[in-house]
Amino acid sequence: MTNALEIEGLYKRFGSHQVLEDFSLEIKKGTIVGLIGPNGSGKSTLLNIVCQLLKADAGQIHLLGIPLHQMDSQARKMIGFCSQNCALYNDLLPHENLDFFARLYGMGPSNRRTRIHELMDDFGLWSHAKTRVGRLSGGWRQRLHIAISMINHPEILILDEPTAAVDASARVELWQLVENLRASGTTILLTTHQLPEAQRLCDRIALMQNGHVVLQGSLPELLASMGEHALVKVESSAINALIHRVEKLGWKPLNTSDEMCFLVPKLYKLIDVVASLEGVDITSVSIKQITLEEVYFSFIR
Amino acid sequence: MINGQANLLLSQTLAVSHRMLLEQWRQGRGLIFWAAFPIFMMLLFGLVYSHNESMRAGLDAAAAGILIGAALFFSCLGGSVAIIAAERERGTLRRLLVSPLKPLAYFFGVVLAQLQLAALQMVMLYSVAWMIGARYHGSWWLGGFILILSVFSYVGMGFFLGIRFANKSEQVVVGLSAIGVPLLVLGGTFFPLEIMPQAMQMVAQLDPMLHMNQAFKGVAAYGLGVESLRFELIFLVLFCLFSVFLGVHSYQRLLDKESLE
Repeated sequence: MTNALEIEGLYKRFGSHQVLEDFSLEIKKGTIVGLIGPNGSGKSTLLNIVCQLLKADAGQIHLLGIPLHQMDSQARKMIGFCSQNCALYNDLLPHENLDFFARLYGMGPSNRRTRIHELMDDFGLWSHAKTRVGRLSGGWRQRLHIAISMINHPEILILDEPTAAVDASARVELWQLVENLRASGTTILLTTHQLPEAQRLCDRIALMQNGHVVLQGSLPELLASMGEHALVKVESSAINALIHRVEKLGWKPLNTSDEMCFLVPKLYKLIDVVASLEGVDITSVSIKQITLEEVYFSFIR
Repeated sequence: MINGQANLLLSQTLAVSHRMLLEQWRQGRGLIFWAAFPIFMMLLFGLVYSHNESMRAGLDAAAAGILIGAALFFSCLGGSVAIIAAERERGTLRRLLVSPLKPLAYFFGVVLAQLQLAALQMVMLYSVAWMIGARYHGSWWLGGFILILSVFSYVGMGFFLGIRFANKSEQVVVGLSAIGVPLLVLGGTFFPLEIMPQAMQMVAQLDPMLHMNQAFKGVAAYGLGVESLRFELIFLVLFCLFSVFLGVHSYQRLLDKESLE
């Protein structure tokens, strides 16, 4: 499978702050790659460099095998970018926004009509076709925003936290749209803080911290990086005693949200865990499947 | 290749122009004020001049001054400043930045939209002016040419001022009042140049609005031709070229700056 995008040894510094350091990533055609990392890890800077909004200090980016710096404005026709904030013309209708951007790409009238019709269908926008964009809810605005990014059939679609500013139900719908795009063969590079969705949708995931990739691979590869471990969730009123015991046992604690979770040897069964914690006041114990969230909290400090 | 680039430039120019006109049309209340302002100004001047038949020439000059100095000033210059501020505020500027839109196409798109609005304002204003007794005396072609030069100049200045001084919509009115209104007064929009002190008259020669006013008044109110207006026309052509350069350059600088933020 050919690479849609190859990033090699990218560096970017703002003043004394090194935002990207020897960042490398490959995205194969037709796959979804998720960039995950805490705020300030360099995700948006990377996307801005790929979209030619910023220049890298060093490193190479190839789009379909061609160096990005040799492509100039041609690259802009091949990349669809959807930023975090919906940048739309509020006094126009959804199809008028689409039409405006289609014209910027030099699409002729009949191509425009066909493409706008397709996108209005695919993104379910007909129900709001007569509503000015300024009166649409956040979820519908974001739908339109992504649709605009797809207007010119880009080789790669870049989504920067596409569900950051929408409510829960709109989020579910938007992820469904991203799934549909994947089914249609669109190559997607996305950033998100929604780990369960990233786990479900992404073919490959790169965990970023301090400007470089600390771990990348497919989900099974990421889960395998946790070694021969199982995850145990413990509820206890005697936290100090629990931590003391766990340290003695050599179990690795994980700071996942507000639960007390530990990595134990995979061979352990529930009964072994309970036996190991004997004498500590415990309310409940359960063994959970390791997910992307545990991988994330294990590698990102 | 060149043909393809020219077609793209044309497509983008028309897209920007179409979008701006559509937005203007949808902003109902703003559109009413936009139309009412020059008409009210014309009616007021009509009332002032109506009591004296010998002041008919003054009314003709007032119509020309209102069109160039007031209507187009606020519509084209103010409108361009507001467009830049709005693109910044709603984040569409960054959206345009990742599209293949050329800065020149954006500028020409705004000019094209403003030219259509200027033509409409001219028709509206002169219809009212005609009803209250003012007349247009000179060549329509020459008048149209001066209007085109004025629109290009206003949009160029609007881009420059908007990019330098108006980060937010609220700053547009303040900026226009502080910079634009003194230029209007100095440009002879409301008072003839002759009643100003000598020193002020000399400073006024540097005000491009004075030359726009004098050129258009010369054609519209006094029926002058190219020969009589040679100095004003040369000044306007040069200033128009300078404004286009200033506007496109400022916009390019804005894009560079925006991409770094």
